[in-house]
Amino acid sequence: MSLRRKLLLVALAMLALPWAGWQFVRQMEVLLRQGQEQTLIASGKALARSLAAINAELPQPGAALYVHELETPLQVDGYADDWLDLRGYSQNLGPVQDAQKLKLTLAEDAAWFYLLAEVRDATRRRADARDGQVQQADRIELSLGRGEGERSYLIASAAPGSFDAVPRGADGAGLPVSLNGEWQEDAAGYRIELRLPRAQRPERLSLRLIDAGGSSDSVVTLERLPLLAYSATLAAELAQFAPESTRARLISGEGWLLAESGELAAGPADTTTPQPSALARWSYRWLIAPSLQGTESLAQSRPRVDAAELWQALSGVPSASWRAGAGQGDVVLVAALPLQLRGEIRGALVLEQVNTALPLLTDAALQRLALVSIAALLLAGGVLFVFATWLSVRIRRLRDGAERALAADGRIQGRVPLTDTRDELGDLARSFQQLLDAVGAYTDYLRTLASKLSHELHTPLAIVKSSLDNLEHHPISSDARAYVVRARDGADRLTHIVRAMSESSRMERAIASADGEDFDLAEVVRGCADAYRPLAAPRRVDCEVPAQRVPMHGAPELIAQALDKLFDNARSFTPESGWIRISLDSVADGALLRVANQGPELPLAMQGRLFDSLVSLREGASRGEAPHLGLGLYVVRLVAERHGGSAAAHNLASGDGVEFTLRLRGMPREPVLATRRMR
Amino acid sequence: MPRSIAIVEDEPLIRANYVEALTRFGYEVRGYASRPEAETAFALRLPELVIIDIGLGDEPEGGFDLCRALRTRAATLPILFLTARDSDLDVISGLRLGADDYLTKDVSLHQLAARISALLRRMDALRKPAEAESVIAHGPLKLEQERMRITWNGEEVPLTVTEFWMVHTMVRFPGHVKNRDQLMREAQVVVDDATITSHIKRIRKKFLAIDADFDAIDTVHGVGYRWRP
Repeated sequence: MSLRRKLLLVALAMLALPWAGWQFVRQMEVLLRQGQEQTLIASGKALARSLAAINAELPQPGAALYVHELETPLQVDGYADDWLDLRGYSQNLGPVQDAQKLKLTLAEDAAWFYLLAEVRDATRRRADARDGQVQQADRIELSLGRGEGERSYLIASAAPGSFDAVPRGADGAGLPVSLNGEWQEDAAGYRIELRLPRAQRPERLSLRLIDAGGSSDSVVTLERLPLLAYSATLAAELAQFAPESTRARLISGEGWLLAESGELAAGPADTTTPQPSALARWSYRWLIAPSLQGTESLAQSRPRVDAAELWQALSGVPSASWRAGAGQGDVVLVAALPLQLRGEIRGALVLEQVNTALPLLTDAALQRLALVSIAALLLAGGVLFVFATWLSVRIRRLRDGAERALAADGRIQGRVPLTDTRDELGDLARSFQQLLDAVGAYTDYLRTLASKLSHELHTPLAIVKSSLDNLEHHPISSDARAYVVRARDGADRLTHIVRAMSESSRMERAIASADGEDFDLAEVVRGCADAYRPLAAPRRVDCEVPAQRVPMHGAPELIAQALDKLFDNARSFTPESGWIRISLDSVADGALLRVANQGPELPLAMQGRLFDSLVSLREGASRGEAPHLGLGLYVVRLVAERHGGSAAAHNLASGDGVEFTLRLRGMPREPVLATRRMR
Repeated sequence: MPRSIAIVEDEPLIRANYVEALTRFGYEVRGYASRPEAETAFALRLPELVIIDIGLGDEPEGGFDLCRALRTRAATLPILFLTARDSDLDVISGLRLGADDYLTKDVSLHQLAARISALLRRMDALRKPAEAESVIAHGPLKLEQERMRITWNGEEVPLTVTEFWMVHTMVRFPGHVKNRDQLMREAQVVVDDATITSHIKRIRKKFLAIDADFDAIDTVHGVGYRWRP
């Protein structure tokens, strides 16, 4: 993985930024919510105080019976069919172990007050109310109170159908004298449905249900339960004090709805503030608002409210919760708080507020956060990318520089880049440079070793030779003279060696200082080939040179010298019956000079190194021959390189010889010469 | 009276050998080990020929300094550099200082002696009027054998002894190709091919300095050189 990719990967750590921002926005949102909760609770408290101050008709604490509002009148027939909507709210008033023994439902419409009592009683003892046996029968003693007055009725029936309740007690206080109703039975029990005119609506209700048994009666007694109902007056008072765009509900201690004002649907805010977009709502809902744990059922307006918030409030502790609103992304804040009057909890206030402002606000923050973090991410990514690119470019430069600095033949050319910079790469570059300098010094030492050595050997050699020269003039025996001859021979060979050792450096200097001139390469090659023929005999020398001129800018002596070396090399490897072929071809950017000869092939391992200094394929020089230090082909390479070309050697495809190829392009023309020519 | 020759050479064994050998050839030879020693002696009496090593003891360029000092005192005194150094740069520096020839130490005593006698002969010849029979003329070239003097269009070409001998070899038979071995033999030097090439190059340059159109020396590639007939 490249450095750049790695750094980009590292840049992903920047993703922590939007995460942190998100956390921050959520935190902010929590704070905002808490603020709103406090506000709503505070305004709820104010509302509660106001209600207390105006002596609103708050329900008494304790159990009560709830009278439902009806839109349409009910059929009093003893069947509960038309009570369907309300039966869910029936109050189970049986004993604790069997609460559903007695289910009581009260309702009223504009004209009538209805009562439905459902009694579970599988063991029926039937008697009419007016029957003497009634004391042993299943019966209900219903007692209604209104103001100071109170009247009791005995309800019993021997058979399903209409019944007349027998009133007891004298003072009626406007209560009806008799109660007519319907009694219906089934296997599980019986139902009583009755009604009385709204005008005679009682304020309290007591009830005794006597389930007559064989040995003992089981009795359910309800004592003077007040009747509660939705109060338009309270609703008006509530509306008066409730904050705007808030739904306020007044709930009794048992969860009955007593008054309601306001609407949950968005308030006046929706005309002035823009509605959050679908995306905003969505992002709010899923990214910001984490827990909408408020009770869903609070959304509806029901006669009875059953919500944890309410129960908490009724225990005296205000509570606040959030739930999803009707609209997408809306949230509803619910505050429930106790309604206290003189230290007594008389009910609870439930305030609800639709909140689009909060999503809007946090969403704007979120959007800004998203934009900022994307921008920051892009910026940081870009900066890191540029930095990484810069870094890798520098490293690549350093690498290329280090590779380039060490030429193929071990010489050090040029310097490593970046050595002037002050950072770690600079350190690295400097280390490289030091290393290369050391290598360069060593290579230089090696390169010059031969010529230095030969230089040092000159003097002792001169001593030996001059001594031998002097010895010749002294009378010595012929036996001794033989030794002198041998010594001279050795000294001569030593001289050759010493000269050959310094030859490479001398040749290098000579080649480097050679001046270029324009000449015909074909003529030079032809001349050389002609000169070689007698030297090569009896080997055959073929010369394939184009008839036309092959112009070249360079040093003909050097090329002839290189050709000499190649020829010399070829001749020494060619058997006496063999052939040597010298050919010249003019190519697009120069010339191709080839010397091929019949003879042994090159070992594969040597092909690349043949043109290096001091590499020789020959076995030890035989006696009397000049020593061979492997400089010839090195000189050939230097000449080729001086002429902008290269030297190569390979075996012939036919497999019976070797070919050396010199590619020559010509020396670069020196500007001084060019101007002189122009003049 | 024998001719006097001074050898300034810091290597005692070589000095002793050369002194002995040249004495045997009939010269009066004195050896000096260092530049100050030689200068002190030369202040009293100048020899007729001086052979100098370039590196003298502690002075790596002492020979050059000595040559320069001598040349200012005696313009015609033959000076020979005999040294272990064989780089072109040293050769050129030595010759620019006015030395008459530059030899490496692998030259044989015979070759050295031949040069010495040639140089002394030239000194003698310069004192006498020019002898017509020893002059070879070829076109604008005039070669006085005894004086070892070559003129081109009447202008003297400042050649060293080695160079003179090379030109002489070619001019004697114009048009004949002289290979490198022949040139070496005639010039009494033992050098490699590259050195012959650089000698020829230097000779050409010296002629070119006088006549920009000079091209009398032909290179016959693979063989050698010839004087254009």
